Amino acid sequence: MQYILDVTSFILKGSVITFKLYLVTAIFSVPLGALCALGKISRFRILRWFLGLYTWVFRGTPLMFQLFFTYYALPVFNIKLEPFTAAAVTYSINYAAYLTEIFRAGIESIDKGQYEAAKVLGMNYAQTMWRIILPQTIKRVIPPVSNEAISLIKDTALIAAIGMPDLLRAAKEVLVRDFTITPFFIASVLYLIITSFIVLIFRKIEKRYSVHE
Amino acid sequence: MDMIRVVNGYKRFGKDEVLKNINLEVKKGEVVSIIGPSGSGKSTLLRCISRLEKMDDGIIEIEGVKIDNHSEGGILRRLKGNSNKNSSKVGMVFQNFNLFPHKTVLENIIEAPIIVNKMKRDEAVEIAEELLKKVNLFDKKDFYPSKISGGQKQRAAIARALAMKPDIMLLDEPTSALDPELVGEVLNVIKDLAKENLTMVIVTHEMAFAREVSDRVIFMDRGEIIEDAPPEKIFENPDNQRIRAFLSKVM
Ligand SMILES: Nc1ncnc2c1ncn2[C@@H]1O[C@H](COP(=O)(O)OP(=O)(O)OP(=O)(O)O)[C@@H](O)[C@H]1O
Ligand SMILES: [Mg+2]
Repeated sequence: MQYILDVTSFILKGSVITFKLYLVTAIFSVPLGALCALGKISRFRILRWFLGLYTWVFRGTPLMFQLFFTYYALPVFNIKLEPFTAAAVTYSINYAAYLTEIFRAGIESIDKGQYEAAKVLGMNYAQTMWRIILPQTIKRVIPPVSNEAISLIKDTALIAAIGMPDLLRAAKEVLVRDFTITPFFIASVLYLIITSFIVLIFRKIEKRYSVHE
Repeated sequence: MDMIRVVNGYKRFGKDEVLKNINLEVKKGEVVSIIGPSGSGKSTLLRCISRLEKMDDGIIEIEGVKIDNHSEGGILRRLKGNSNKNSSKVGMVFQNFNLFPHKTVLENIIEAPIIVNKMKRDEAVEIAEELLKKVNLFDKKDFYPSKISGGQKQRAAIARALAMKPDIMLLDEPTSALDPELVGEVLNVIKDLAKENLTMVIVTHEMAFAREVSDRVIFMDRGEIIEDAPPEKIFENPDNQRIRAFLSKVM
C-alpha cells in the first residue's frame, strides 16, 4: 500500500508539467480558434486563404512532427525555445487549428433566419455575432470541443519526445527501476480520472447551455 | 407622404427576373395584403423593403427617405453596413418566426431595445410586458421558444417586432407554418394592430383574412403586380383572368 502511494505521488510530481501544458494550451487555443473562425467567415479573401493554409498544415501533419519542428528545427533559424515554451506554443497553435474548424462549422450551422431577425431589429455585425450567433454556437460545439479536450490529455504524453518529464514518463521510470507494472496501472487510473473529470466538466457546461431545449 | 414607395423596382437572382417593374405606394395607417401564387416574388418584395435583399433597379423610399442599397454579398457582409437608421422604422415578422432560441420570450423582446436603442433594462421590460399582455402571452414570458406552441411563437415574434416601435410592419405569411387551430389567435393579434392604424404589408394565403383586414389587396404573378385594388374588387369582381384562376384554386 505504502508502495502504491509512493509511486502515485512520484508520478503525480512528474505530471505537474503535463497539467501546466494542458492548462496553457486550453487557455490559448480556445480564443485563438474563435478568432480564426471569425476570420474564416470574414470577407477578407487573403485572410481566409491564409487561415485555410494554417488549418490545412496543422491538421494535416502529426503533432509530434510539429513539436520536433519547433524544438529542433527552429534553432536552425536562431529561434531557441525552452522545452516547455516550445511545447506550449506548438500545442496551442495545433489545437487552435482544430478548434478553428469546429467553431467555423458551428457558426455556419446557425440558421440564416437568425441573422435576418437580428438585422431587421437593427443589430449590427458585432451585436449579431456576440449576442445572437456565438451563444448558440457554443452549445453546438461543446461535444466536439470536449473530444478535443480529451485528446489533449493523451497528446500531452508526446512531450516526453523532447525530453520533458510527464505523467507517462514518470511511470516508465518507476517500471524500469522496480520492474513491476504497478506504475503503469497507476498511470492508467490517473489518466482515466483526469478524463472523467473533464467529461464531467463538459457535461455541466452542456447542461447550462441547454436550458432552452 | 407615403410610408412606403417603390418605383420601377427590379430584382434578379442570376438570370431569373423575380421582380419586374414594381410600383407600389402604402400610406400611413394602410393595411395592404399581397396575394399570389408560389414563386411570384411576394417574399422577395417584402425582403427588399426590409433591406434583407437589394433591388437591382428602382427606388425604395421609407417615409420619404430613399433606402441606401447595400453592397452585394452574403448576409454577413450586408450586416456590416447596417446603419440602424432606417431599420427600426420597419419591423418584420417571418413565416418561421426566427425567435432567438437561447433567449426566453421576454429576453427576445427586450434584446433589441436594450442593445440597439440603448434603452434601460427596466424600461424595456416594462414595455415588453405591456406588449406581452397585448398579444396575450404574459404567462409565457419566461418560457424558451422551444417550450411554446407555434401560435405563441408567432405572437412573441410580433411583440418582439413591436418593441422597436416600428412605423411599418411587414409580415411574410405569418400563419403559414401554423397548425390550422392556431391560425386564428395570430390573425386576431394582427387584426388588433390594424385597428390601431399601424401601417402593415402582409403576405398571406388566408383569403378571408385578407379580405377582412385589408384596405387594399395586391395580386402578384411572375414577379409583377397584376392588380392593386380594394378587396371587394379583387375578391368579388376580378377582371383579370389570372386572378380568377388563382382565387378559384385557393378558395
Ligand atoms: N436567394 C435566392 N436565390 C435565388 N433565387 C431566389 C432566392 N430567393 C427567391 N428566389 C426565387 O425568386 C422567386 C420568387 O421567390 P419568392 O420567395 O419571392 O416567392 P413567393 O411569392 O414568396 O412564394 P411563396 O408563396 O412560395 O412564398 C422564386 O422563383 C424563387 O425561387
Ligand atoms: Mg414567400
